Amino acid sequence: MPNSPTDVFSQLIIKIAVNYPQFDLAIDHAIPLQGITGVFGHSASGKSTLLRAIAGLEKNLSGEISLANKSLTNTKQGVYLKPEQRQVGLVFQNSRLFDHLTVLGNLEYAVKRCKQSKLSLNNVIELTELTTLLAHKPDELSGGQQQRVALARAILAEPKLLLLDEPLSALDQHSKTQLLNMMLNIQKQLNLPMLYVSHSLDELQQVCDNLLVMAKGKVVNFGNIHQVIHQLNNDDDDAIIHQQTSLSLPIKEFDNGHGLTALALNAQQDIFLSCEPSFAQQSQLRCFILASDISITLTEPMNSSIVNHLFGTIKEITQQKNKVLLIVHCGSQDFFVSISAFSQQKLSLTLNQQVYLQFKASAVRTFIH
Amino acid sequence: MMNSDWQALITTLEMAALTTIILLIIGTPLAWYLAKMTSRFKVVIEAVVALPLVLPPTVLGFYLLIAFSPEHLPGQLWQQATGQQLAFSFSAIVIGSVLYSLPFVVQPLQKAFEQLGDSLLEAAALLGAGPIDRFFTIVLPLTKASFITAASLGFAHTVGEFGVILMIGGNIPGETRVLSIALFDHVEAFDYARAHLLSISLLMSSMVLLAAIYWLNLPKRKNRNALVNNANVTEGKTNA
Repeated sequence: MPNSPTDVFSQLIIKIAVNYPQFDLAIDHAIPLQGITGVFGHSASGKSTLLRAIAGLEKNLSGEISLANKSLTNTKQGVYLKPEQRQVGLVFQNSRLFDHLTVLGNLEYAVKRCKQSKLSLNNVIELTELTTLLAHKPDELSGGQQQRVALARAILAEPKLLLLDEPLSALDQHSKTQLLNMMLNIQKQLNLPMLYVSHSLDELQQVCDNLLVMAKGKVVNFGNIHQVIHQLNNDDDDAIIHQQTSLSLPIKEFDNGHGLTALALNAQQDIFLSCEPSFAQQSQLRCFILASDISITLTEPMNSSIVNHLFGTIKEITQQKNKVLLIVHCGSQDFFVSISAFSQQKLSLTLNQQVYLQFKASAVRTFIH
Repeated sequence: MMNSDWQALITTLEMAALTTIILLIIGTPLAWYLAKMTSRFKVVIEAVVALPLVLPPTVLGFYLLIAFSPEHLPGQLWQQATGQQLAFSFSAIVIGSVLYSLPFVVQPLQKAFEQLGDSLLEAAALLGAGPIDRFFTIVLPLTKASFITAASLGFAHTVGEFGVILMIGGNIPGETRVLSIALFDHVEAFDYARAHLLSISLLMSSMVLLAAIYWLNLPKRKNRNALVNNANVTEGKTNA
């Protein structure tokens, strides 16, 4: 983790302890203020407490928090900025809209109190697709619409950092997808750093650049999203996640003429998945393949309906109860494969052995599309 | 009604209006403080606020009479500050009324603030709204009905006051002679016609005021649960 004096301006630095009778949080970490950083962990791992501490809503803490070299909290020096002075936005799980105001009234509430007003209200209304809802009262909206209003309202306060506390957890799949796409779009257009708490790795995998993993009030892992997911695969303790290979690959061919999209894994090998119309606008695709969806063969499966087969070398073999987790190196990419101990014995797989991976196009999953 | 009764009516309305204004000014922060308070002293303060609901008004009046007399500190301080005697003055019955009607204003407001919770206030703070801003733009609009209930109950209860005023105000026309005292005078003087007239006017106006409060709290309102609960709490305590 780089932490030289020059990059404190682009970092959120957190050195705090929160103590409750049932729960302790202790964090000493710096998070780069760029892109979307996911915060992942079980319930009661301290994710929400961390966000509340950054937002200034958590009174019961000691230590310091600084955002782009501006001190938000420093209990030793008696600094404790009020939430309204922090320029930190927070979108809550339940949208917390003001029921006595219309949608437009809610948005204007933020605009009126914003000191810079660089953003155009109309621009944000368009980004969040609220144009037709402005005259409605919040209780006339669906859950997804309410969260879009909450997102727009938080952005209009022009925060330096936007916190999102499980904003999708109460929504249906369609609304989740829509809101995730909006978040990505907004992050890019406004260059607004976000800290996004979720217990759904699928959501985080789709939008985050970095991932911070919390357990029992501590940070247990931080880094590039794909790397951290791959490290989580090795946690023996009965799977905090579904073991998977997390990928971000360039789209080589939108439609191969048979309804499949080709992603370039490396110069020689492609991965195929079912083509979706929304892929057309993208050059890069986030996807994941569950370790249980990949099988191993010793010879190249030429006569199979399964479209994806990759050649690789076994790098690691880990026994996990009656399963075996293999890490197979294909080109420059590691793939995680979970097979039964029975199959491993039958094929007598060993380290550095060359094998073929095979998985169906439908095993290559994207959450957003 | 005769001139003296009109004068009593005006004194009553002046007393009730002033009392209600004072109650809203001191009752709102007190109710807010109680709603947010987590200390165990909360129950003690709540009990003190609720005391006038169960205490015979004459008991409260008796202690106030003693306190307001020139021999005791509150009465002395008042006399030094204003040059007037506190006991048997208009100011005395207003102070007495404020104490006597306090729970009728504080309890509905406290309940409303508790039900409003912190979540919307946190959201407003993160949008840059400071405490005063939040009170006027979030708390007040969302608890408006409870404020109207509190003010109406405070006003009505003050109008109906008798025991405390009799103890600390006496019966000075234009100063402390309010409608309930005037009614008592008429009965004492066997002037039942005038007593009837005053009684029926007080009864009708109280009825109209209460009906208006309940109409305001009709379940069609959006924050109806909060309002109905407020009304129930206040109603229950009134009957106690």
